[in-house]
Amino acid sequence: MDDAIQKPAAGRTHWNPYVAGMFLGLVLVASYVILGAGLGASGGIARIAAYAESLVAPEHVRGSAYFGAWGDTPLSYYLVFMFVGTVFDGYLSALLARRQHLVVERGASFARSKRLWLALGGGVLVGFASRLASGCTSGQALAGGALLLNGSLLFLVSLFAGGYATAWLFRRQWHD
Amino acid sequence: MIETLFGLDRLGTPGAFFAALVVGLLFGVALERAGFGSSRRLAGIFYFTDMAVLKVMFTALVTAMLGLALVQELGVLAPHQLYVLPTVYGAQVVGGLIFGVGFVMGGWCPGTAAVGVGSGRIDALVFLGGAVVGSVFFNELHSVLQPLYEWGRQPEPLVAFGMSKPLFSLVVTVVALAAFWFAERVELKASGRQTYLGTPFLKGFGLVLLFVAASLFVFPEGDAAEPHATGSPKGGLSDLALLQAVEEAEDHMEPEDLADRLVRGQQDLVVVDVRSPAEFAAFHVRGAVNVPLPDLPQYLAPWRNRGTIVLYSNGMTHPAQARDALARMGFGNVYHLTDGLTGFVERCLRPVSLRTEPLTSSAAAKVASWRAFFVEGRTPPPPAGQQEEPTPPARFPGYIQTAWLAENLTRSDVRVIDVRDSKEYTGGHIPGSLSLNCESFRGVVNGVPASLLPAETLASHLSLMGIMPSDTLVLATGDKIRDATLVGMGLLRLRHARWALLHGGIARWKAEHRPMDTTLPAVEPSQYPVPERAEGFSVDHRELLQRVRDGRTAILDVRPAAYYLGEKSDEARAGHIPGAINRPFEEDLGAGGRLRAIAELEAAYRKLLPRKDAPVIVHCRTGHQASQTFFVLRFLLGYQDVRWYGAGWTEWAARPELPTE
Repeated sequence: MDDAIQKPAAGRTHWNPYVAGMFLGLVLVASYVILGAGLGASGGIARIAAYAESLVAPEHVRGSAYFGAWGDTPLSYYLVFMFVGTVFDGYLSALLARRQHLVVERGASFARSKRLWLALGGGVLVGFASRLASGCTSGQALAGGALLLNGSLLFLVSLFAGGYATAWLFRRQWHD
Repeated sequence: MIETLFGLDRLGTPGAFFAALVVGLLFGVALERAGFGSSRRLAGIFYFTDMAVLKVMFTALVTAMLGLALVQELGVLAPHQLYVLPTVYGAQVVGGLIFGVGFVMGGWCPGTAAVGVGSGRIDALVFLGGAVVGSVFFNELHSVLQPLYEWGRQPEPLVAFGMSKPLFSLVVTVVALAAFWFAERVELKASGRQTYLGTPFLKGFGLVLLFVAASLFVFPEGDAAEPHATGSPKGGLSDLALLQAVEEAEDHMEPEDLADRLVRGQQDLVVVDVRSPAEFAAFHVRGAVNVPLPDLPQYLAPWRNRGTIVLYSNGMTHPAQARDALARMGFGNVYHLTDGLTGFVERCLRPVSLRTEPLTSSAAAKVASWRAFFVEGRTPPPPAGQQEEPTPPARFPGYIQTAWLAENLTRSDVRVIDVRDSKEYTGGHIPGSLSLNCESFRGVVNGVPASLLPAETLASHLSLMGIMPSDTLVLATGDKIRDATLVGMGLLRLRHARWALLHGGIARWKAEHRPMDTTLPAVEPSQYPVPERAEGFSVDHRELLQRVRDGRTAILDVRPAAYYLGEKSDEARAGHIPGAINRPFEEDLGAGGRLRAIAELEAAYRKLLPRKDAPVIVHCRTGHQASQTFFVLRFLLGYQDVRWYGAGWTEWAARPELPTE
């Protein structure tokens, strides 16, 4: 890993954000038309979590109220496959665009270890909150918002409220 | 019309996994190409340095919103084909706030972190590890968090904050365009780089979105795009002409239609006059009841989503408002009379001689018959053979009328299942019907005898019978309704959508001199899928014990009173579950072993279980009798939270650690 690279080299330019957004929206419509369900990422992660926990304590997971309902093969779930697809094509697309760099992304003046602790903490909060709200940015805000669901739109508003309210606390990780 | 994998209940199949993988591949490309493989870029929105997240998210949201509205309005996709997330206000707001903090702290969200890992970002991998840990935390804390998780849960998914859908879509589109303008301004200020602000591209893009949003207004407003999680027969049987005619009229009923229904004596029709008692006394539509507007919800509660409710006044304003208010309370079967009482008198009862426009002779005869019924108060002779109109079932599961079955018997997707014993079946059955002994749905499961078999086994039974998930199943009984309702429990476990009991059973079919047959039907085995999601209607002894302890659930013991009282016993112990109330299943039965009329059942259960939204668990000895009570409560009377303890007293009595009374 090249520690000198904090800001990834530009690689190829990104798509026009509006075109990318439109493409994403059409993928979501296709997901609804074919699968009958929207996009989702945190659902796949939670299934992986259930699988991981059951490797350690199978009986405990089987008897637990939330993961237990997913049966003995939590990975046999469409969102797990969707998640695998997302990672794989993220890899392929980044490779083709020469944007693939093994780095810890952060501001130049911020310690790598601290950045990783923040990423971990953020991940824990996001993993927890996604289960509480039954979805994440894609599965709840976007997929539900597209169906005009009140709860999904409130989730989206709350997400930004929570983010902006605490952004100041985490600003240093991006300072160069 | 497209059937989605969710609609087919096939989301758990390898084919669906493959489709999800492909969708995931496209999802990954979209996110990566948008530049979301970078946490710095994602976090930029919170520091007003890079607004790509806002632009991409809002564009995707508006595109998908308009796209989904179009595919639904154009009839490509029926709403019940979609998995719709529940609305749980408290959990979604609190979850959103915590999520936002995690997002800005970690610099990722789950989907973008997946792409970040693909892009080689180590912080994304650590973030995902954290998300796994966070999911485990949630699982471990689930029992503590249960109240929060359920906080603000709505009975069904709510949309558009009470606005009409096209209007709300337009509002979202306008907000999105304002957000784009704002984002471009912010980026111009932050970087000085050239942005899309004021470019022909962005202007054209905005206009296209506005145009599509505005075009949604051309579709007639109806419930075509209403997402509903509960299975209703809407969009169901293609030839339910009557139901569809009513649906297309949306919310009102023509006077001629009402007159015909009243004259032929439609059983489940409730006509309500909402005018003052004085006006009602002066004149009203024969068969109507007078109920003041404020009392409507209470009065109509028993008919919520059952039968047909028609409201009328002199004109249309009051009933239309009342109808909308009722619709918001979940009544899906309320109509108001077009042109009110005035229109009814004018169009149906005005004598032919006083009309300016000429009438055909058949129309004149109609008017004469209406006048005879409504003005002179004469009752028409019953139609030949006491035949009922072939009205389609009002909802599934429920009753199907013999006349409807007779008309639809030849359809390949309508299957009659004869649950009488095999001698009765071979002696003569409804043509084409399949014989099924309800006991073949039961067996020893976990050591408990006579348990309803698991979904896999039930599915293979139905496969041998050649039944498909889309079939309408009509359960025909002799004098034991509970044989049909027990089969019904199996169908619920398989999440079979369309099944109903033949109203009046084979006895009525025979009494109406309808055809019987002794030949066996041709059956081609099918592949009945095992549902992916488990049913939620049955409880085991552990959960029941918990419910007994917390005391908030009514336990209904439907065994004969002598068993409940412990005077008789065939089991390990005599007595009943502590706190259980007794309502023997036979009390729901009238002459010939048929279920009593719904109004009678309604009155009886109102005393025992006054609240229809309160939890109830029914049980008997082995689940057989209780399946009948379950059917009555859940499907005939509309109790919302009814569960079934199938293992029943057989198991409870044999587990010495469980308390009895």
